[in-house]
Amino acid sequence: MRPGYLVLDGVAKRYGPVTAVQGVSIEVARGEFLGLLGPSGCGKTTTLQMIAGFETPTEGRIVLDGQDLASTPPAKRGIGLVFQSYALFPHMTAAENVAFGLEMRRVPKAERARRVAEALDLVHLSHLADRFPRNMSGGQQQRVALARALVIEPQLLLLDEPLSNLDAKLREEMQVELRELQRRVGVTTILVTHDQQEAMALCDRVAVMQAGRVVQVDEPWRAYEVPADGFVADFLGRSNRLPARAADGMAEAAGQRFALPPDLAGARGEVMLTIRPERLRIGLEGAGTLPGRVHSRIFLGASWLYRVDTPLGPMMVTAQNTGAPPVEEGAPVSLGWDPHSLRQLETA
Amino acid sequence: MSAGRTSPALLAAPSGVVYLVALVIPLVSVLVLSLQGFEFSRGILPRYDLANYADLFTDPLFEEALTRTFRIALITTAICVAIGVPEAWIIRRMSPRWRGLMLLLVVGPLLVSVVVRTFGWMVLLGTNGLINGALLAIGVPDAPFRMMFTEFAVILGLVHVMVPLVVLAVWASLGRLDPALSRAAESLGAGRFTIFRRIILPNIMPGVLGGALMVFCLSASAFATPAMLGGRRLKVVASMAYNEFLNTLNWPLGAAIATLLLATILAATLLWTRLVERRALRRLGGA
Repeated sequence: MRPGYLVLDGVAKRYGPVTAVQGVSIEVARGEFLGLLGPSGCGKTTTLQMIAGFETPTEGRIVLDGQDLASTPPAKRGIGLVFQSYALFPHMTAAENVAFGLEMRRVPKAERARRVAEALDLVHLSHLADRFPRNMSGGQQQRVALARALVIEPQLLLLDEPLSNLDAKLREEMQVELRELQRRVGVTTILVTHDQQEAMALCDRVAVMQAGRVVQVDEPWRAYEVPADGFVADFLGRSNRLPARAADGMAEAAGQRFALPPDLAGARGEVMLTIRPERLRIGLEGAGTLPGRVHSRIFLGASWLYRVDTPLGPMMVTAQNTGAPPVEEGAPVSLGWDPHSLRQLETA
Repeated sequence: MSAGRTSPALLAAPSGVVYLVALVIPLVSVLVLSLQGFEFSRGILPRYDLANYADLFTDPLFEEALTRTFRIALITTAICVAIGVPEAWIIRRMSPRWRGLMLLLVVGPLLVSVVVRTFGWMVLLGTNGLINGALLAIGVPDAPFRMMFTEFAVILGLVHVMVPLVVLAVWASLGRLDPALSRAAESLGAGRFTIFRRIILPNIMPGVLGGALMVFCLSASAFATPAMLGGRRLKVVASMAYNEFLNTLNWPLGAAIATLLLATILAATLLWTRLVERRALRRLGGA
């Protein structure tokens, strides 16, 4: 059982007849990096706004370090925020931006200067302290925003899609940096993102949200391996569906019989099985379980992504790029798998 | 020579012609006219000198009107900024449903003809007007007050119609502001007033200064409102020029007055952009 440093207890937000967030209960441990993950409109940003204090929950409680936040205005919550647009003050230099929160806290000038320098150093921007945001790149502005949020030594750091305005390569670099920074500072952090790759790369745990509800809270690899439902399975990467009939530890689909993993041995009747594209093996005709034909293929550098038409519908297959020539489009193939890679979806 | 050089000139020609006909030619005519002489029995004299300007510079009446004009313009500008800037900010923070309605109310005065609007003020401000009537009815001592034909009345009338200009100018600046800015400041511990003063105000300065300049120029050259609410004795430069043109029929002197008014407003504008605006905008990367 994790000790709850930040506790969301049955939090809901309704705008008139519209329910944006419903029954959200999450406990976040001190120092944890939690991701709120979901498609746009799933309520993740509303949840973040409620934690920050810009929205008031219609129902439920938000407790931070044992203290109910209901009556605390945003300015008094001591929560660091990084916005998607960075929201740097355009008329202030990087150092002035970082110093603002300390000024508001009436930190003496000498100490302020020292802490601003430390914060800028933390994000490797000491050399740009006197630059205005308009003269900085997106990544640099991002770091200033981070330093500005961290310098006030927040009880909680909230990141609202912080990397989505950066280009792909820079985003990957910033992910690594953000992760290291969070570990070093040890600040409890909540990241809101619609990018499953980003959430999985950064977070200790992810809370997957759909239509205002939390569907699953788990470590990223667990949520990926054992998704709570079809939505999570599809949202965290790709997955293939195998509708089958189960009996006596075996399954039958499209005239093919194959073994079920031990944990599904008890399954009976119609089941919906899923399998990740990287768990499917693409082989010569007749070598595997499920026959098919390569419909198309995409080269991804480290791997190939095939779309294979089978009697059970199209299947996505990723195969590592071993340097060998790839399977031609239109070629008859056969798909095989390890029974342990099969998962059953509760709701088909 | 080549099409690349001549086509920009050709494209600019239509607007150039408009400017020439509507601005340059009349201005030059006024300037030339202001150098000519005038005699009541003979009309405009065919001589060119600075006699009109010499007359004006030694005329205490003109000096008084000029001082009054700029005093009124300055006070009007200050009041308009003091009202208009917070007003724009407050309306901006309203829910979208109220926002449109409020904005319509704000620009309301601009939709009413100056004569109608000013007559409205006359009804309100007159010695037997609505306000004095009300003050008398509730037994305020010293009532009725003399409000018509005072600088107070002129400033009131001008502020009424000029505030929308500041609101609209500031509104445009506010629209370009990232709405997350005030939330960022709030999360860092700033109160509402601090957010406005430290974050919002510096970023909407272009709108504030532009609006102020507009109000100043329009107030300094306003004619109808000062003439109607200020009366015959409270002359401003614009009403003096009007008087010379239409009553005394001394067109050259009127032209000289108009030229001087234009020159002073222009000088004030240049001074303003040089000293205030450029300094304020440097931080925002504007100038």
